[in-house]
Amino acid sequence: MSISRRKFLGWLGAAGMGTAMGKTARAATNKDFSGYPDSNGVLFDSTRCIGCRKCEEGCNTVNELPEPDKAFSDLSVLDTDRRTTSKAYTIVNRYDDAGGNQGPLYRKVQCNHCLEPACASVCFVRAFSKNESGAVIYDETVCVGCRYCMIACPFEIPAYEYDRVLSPRVRKCTMCHPRIVKGLLPGCVEACPTEALTYGKRDDLLQIGRERIRKFPERYVDHIYGENEMGGTSWLHLSAVPFQDIGMREDLGTTPAPKLTSGALSVVPMVAGLWPVLLGGVYAINKRREKIEKQEKEQAVSEALETAQAAAKAEMAEAMKFAEQQKDKAIEKAVSEALEAAAKAAAEDASQPEAEDTDKKSSEEDS
Amino acid sequence: MSRWTAALAAVFMVAFFMSSSAVFGLKRAPGQGLETRADIIRIDSMRVFGQLEKPPVTFLHQKHTEALEKKNKNCSACHLSEKDKLSDKQRMSTKYMRLKDTTKQAVMDIFHDNCIDCHKQTKAAGEKSGPLECGECHQEQVAVKSSWKAIGMDKSLHYRHSKAMDNKCEKCHHEYDEASQKLYYAKGQEGTCRYCHQETTADKRISLRLAAHMACIDCHREVLAQNESAGPITCNGCHDSNEQKLIEKVKNVPRMDVKQPDFVFVKSVKSQDKASNPATRMNLVPFNHKAHELHNDTCRVCHHADLKACNSCHVLEGSRDGNFVTLAQAMHRVNVNQSCMGCHEARQTDQSCAGCHTSFEKKRQQGTSACQNCHMVPNSQIIDEVQRNEVKQAAAESLQKRQVVAATYNQEDIPETVTINTLMNQYEAVKLPHRKIVLTMVANINGNKLANYFHHEKGTVCQGCHHNSPAAKQPPKCVSCHGKPFNAKDPFKPGLMAAYHRQCMECHKAMGITKPVSTDCTACHQKKR
Repeated sequence: MSISRRKFLGWLGAAGMGTAMGKTARAATNKDFSGYPDSNGVLFDSTRCIGCRKCEEGCNTVNELPEPDKAFSDLSVLDTDRRTTSKAYTIVNRYDDAGGNQGPLYRKVQCNHCLEPACASVCFVRAFSKNESGAVIYDETVCVGCRYCMIACPFEIPAYEYDRVLSPRVRKCTMCHPRIVKGLLPGCVEACPTEALTYGKRDDLLQIGRERIRKFPERYVDHIYGENEMGGTSWLHLSAVPFQDIGMREDLGTTPAPKLTSGALSVVPMVAGLWPVLLGGVYAINKRREKIEKQEKEQAVSEALETAQAAAKAEMAEAMKFAEQQKDKAIEKAVSEALEAAAKAAAEDASQPEAEDTDKKSSEEDS
Repeated sequence: MSRWTAALAAVFMVAFFMSSSAVFGLKRAPGQGLETRADIIRIDSMRVFGQLEKPPVTFLHQKHTEALEKKNKNCSACHLSEKDKLSDKQRMSTKYMRLKDTTKQAVMDIFHDNCIDCHKQTKAAGEKSGPLECGECHQEQVAVKSSWKAIGMDKSLHYRHSKAMDNKCEKCHHEYDEASQKLYYAKGQEGTCRYCHQETTADKRISLRLAAHMACIDCHREVLAQNESAGPITCNGCHDSNEQKLIEKVKNVPRMDVKQPDFVFVKSVKSQDKASNPATRMNLVPFNHKAHELHNDTCRVCHHADLKACNSCHVLEGSRDGNFVTLAQAMHRVNVNQSCMGCHEARQTDQSCAGCHTSFEKKRQQGTSACQNCHMVPNSQIIDEVQRNEVKQAAAESLQKRQVVAATYNQEDIPETVTINTLMNQYEAVKLPHRKIVLTMVANINGNKLANYFHHEKGTVCQGCHHNSPAAKQPPKCVSCHGKPFNAKDPFKPGLMAAYHRQCMECHKAMGITKPVSTDCTACHQKKR
């Protein structure tokens, strides 16, 4: 063989690197996408929401979801902060008003149906797709259950049926796509008694939102959440307080998720082609690294132990020596003190008899 | 051997407790559980000498005065006095241990020497004392929360002061004489302090803050020294929001006499000779000055600082003196306190009004018929302004002509109940106690002159719910306009279900009506039998 294995792998690797570096970030998206024309959406106005959970009930009914543990009329569930689950595609959370005296605030949580969904961009089997009607829908027949969508979603919406052992699915709001097709309203929208949810064309909803803010500037924050967040969402939000006060992320930016990863994703096909090489290489490198690490670790541990023991010994010896010295000094001092005292006492003894003599003399005189 | 281990253990224990307490101290979440005080002073006196080298010191004034009081020390322990050339009075400086900011080093030394000295002495005496190290005083983080609230002379407070002083206005009010460079009292020219003393000190005019602290506290101290009851001399006494509520309010304050008119016309120009074509001028607005005085705590509410007439600064086309706010804007702007409409709109936030008024868009421009509510006297009627008193008389007369309608339609014309037959697939029909609601609303605003004057038709009250149609005894039904929701051709109109629910719920919320609870469906809708 005129070509060595090592050389072959090297060429392959170099070719892969070349393709990875040559691509620009625009490769995967090609152009800016501002949603399908005339697509639908829902405008949620949190100033109108009274926290009655009728939307949850409506969602449950039209989607034929299992009955919840606590009835929908039981509003005590609002005491805890909840997330969407595989059995509840939408939930309402309560937020205590920090500043004003408006009483508690409510926010409905469900899939926001991004114009360019992160869940769809990470799904390598294309189980998610953005429908022309505005809904982001899920195809369970192709899903392999990797749950990348759950990690990718900036709103933490998709939920997984962990309790279905054989055929678990990813579950989330469908914007009631099957109902929309039939000309019906989404279940939550239909159930809302105060029209806190307005259904319509996304463009009209933006107009309605802006008009509400214009008419009642003191009632709203001058911002429609979802107009540009993550490149825009089909579900739009109005609020009386900054959106982060009702638990919504304000750090998402306006770049759609697919754009953020397009640079990396553009090399995915190439990486996929090279996967045996890549994985094999990675495995070998890891194996070798582990081995070296283990050796180094063992060596370092034994060295450290030795030095520590030596240091401890030396320290102990020093301390003992010091103590010994101290002891000696103390003894010396005590001895010298005793000697001194003895000398002094002897001196005193020497002078004492004279005094006694005089005493005796005087006593003799007295007598 | 065992002695050594015991000693080591002791050292470790001490180190652990010291470090752990420091850690616990840092763990406290910002803003939570902080003490609230009104006496927080951020000492940044060095700012006059340029950028600060260290963070300013958060100084708690009252904590110090209280500690000094226990040692029988007074303000002079920290504040020096000098004879004020302007008033020939001994005045205490608000600065610490100095009268002037001389040099950077000198001022810094004054603070460091005196503060630390005193703290040292106190500590030496075995008492609780303040910090001695740099970082203990100079801290970026403030560990207290402010409850400070500005205080002003309202009518009641002014009355109590003038009564206590036997109406000796000269005790506080003064003018400045340029020639002798002295303060003197000019009878009849008393104005608000703010007229001269502005936000910042300029030339010889000290800032309002400085003037108020020097004058108020000096006088309170003097009176206290004579063992008489006096106003507060502590920070909290005036500035703590809770203690402010304890300040006695005199309910019926006699009218203050500053030669203000009882009735006037709000006019665009002062005299006719400057006027443009009278035919194109707006109708005059008669204004009951006396009645408006009753509704406000201070003159400042409308007159900003001085007590001049509105149109002396706010002229028709705007002027520099009036900050280019035109006369029309000065009277019609919403969201400001000084304008007529702004103040009247603020009154609509009252619970008895808010039910209807919160659902109305705040319009800068109302229908033309509404203009005549205020602009009621045609210009031709007041042709001559030779006699001031006659003009005032005319204004008073035109105001008396105003009719205040305090009622709506007769009881029998108001339907007693209204049956709402929607949502019949889920619930029984709702019987709305219509007459009871109307009568309660009318009763709520019964004594409200403002409301009853502007609700100038019998059906105006009805328009709170029956909106967007002319006031009438039998207004159109809700369903005439509100039908299926989300009509793309009429996107701003709610559907019938939302229209009903929001009308009831939002009104109840604004009026503070807690029953029925909005989320309790069966409180209004009987369960289907």
